[in-house]
Amino acid sequence: MHNCREVRERLTELILDGQPDRELVAELNKCAECSAEFDAVNATLRTTTRVRETAIPAESYWPAYHARLRDKLSHVQVRRRKENTGASFAPLRLCVNILFRPVPVPLAAGLVVLALLGLLAFRGTRKPAAPQSVVVHVPVEIPVVQEKLVTQVVYRNRYLPSRTSKRTGADSRVENTFAKSQMPRPDDVPTLTGFKPAADVKLTVIKGGSPNEK
Amino acid sequence: MADDTELIKRAQAEDIDAFCLLAERYARRIHLLASHYCRNQQDAEDLSQEVWLKAYQALQSFRFDSSFYTWLRRITINAFLNHRRSGFFRRQGQTTAVQLMPLDSEVSSLASPENIYNKLLFESVVEAISELTASQRLAFLLRHYEGMSYEEIANAMNCSTGTVKKGVWRAITKLRARLSTEPQSQEALTSLANEY
Repeated sequence: MHNCREVRERLTELILDGQPDRELVAELNKCAECSAEFDAVNATLRTTTRVRETAIPAESYWPAYHARLRDKLSHVQVRRRKENTGASFAPLRLCVNILFRPVPVPLAAGLVVLALLGLLAFRGTRKPAAPQSVVVHVPVEIPVVQEKLVTQVVYRNRYLPSRTSKRTGADSRVENTFAKSQMPRPDDVPTLTGFKPAADVKLTVIKGGSPNEK
Repeated sequence: MADDTELIKRAQAEDIDAFCLLAERYARRIHLLASHYCRNQQDAEDLSQEVWLKAYQALQSFRFDSSFYTWLRRITINAFLNHRRSGFFRRQGQTTAVQLMPLDSEVSSLASPENIYNKLLFESVVEAISELTASQRLAFLLRHYEGMSYEEIANAMNCSTGTVKKGVWRAITKLRARLSTEPQSQEALTSLANEY
């Protein structure tokens, strides 16, 4: 199928390359508009080719052109040599310029005073540098106090009434009276007043003691 | 006559005479490109001379991997592209590329109607080319005048081959529209040339 746009885009290559493209030529023969376009583009490019040499100035122009170019090249060469020689002595030259530059005495004195003041101000504001901390890992044994809750049980004296009840006669009566006087009264509540716990408690557990012992 | 290689080696050793001989060999081709690219004769000379100065400064980097002209053309293209970015062409609007020679000069023999016709034609071509965008203009010049392939142009201009093809096609389409090839235009140019 003939596509005019596609053919026209390929015309340029056909003309510029100068190589015959049979397929494209066949397409041009099919379409009168494309063929006319080919002729027009070809004529345009022929025109630009024709005037190409006209762009070159006459021979009389070139001696002056080359003289100007030579002049510019000479300048470039001189500058490059200066840069090369200057680059090798640049630091030395800078030092000499700084050291031996003529400066008026009052200006020099003022500069020195300013420099000293600046130095003093800088020192005044400067803080002593803190020693740099170094982290060292040292294993340390720390004694841990383990506290134990100790309950101290305090027993008060008891008298077994069964024992005294078995006795008879005057002894038994005396003992009974004594026992009764020693027996706690109902309103006599035992207190821990005056009890001082020992600082160290030593517990001794006796196995196989009283069957009621827990 | 010394060949390019010998002249280049001498020029690399800072022999200006050798470099000027190289310049004399290729100056016309570089100037031709510049004059089509710049539209203005003075700009064309400035630009072409700048190309030579850059070539001289960069000559130490020439390693004989390609021909001298290929290397020089690459410098030319870069110079053109740089000037396009920097707005070098400040004398836009002046079309002094064609300098008609006075008839009473010593070169009056060159001022034949045919030459004048060609110069007028050249003026209209340069004017038409100057109306292209810078990239279209450069692509067209490199393709049409330098015979570079699309791939070479794309490589030199740092763009795709498709962009170059499209640029060349659009340039030719614009030129075709601008350069009317109708018979009456040709006749007008011929009569104008005869008037001189």
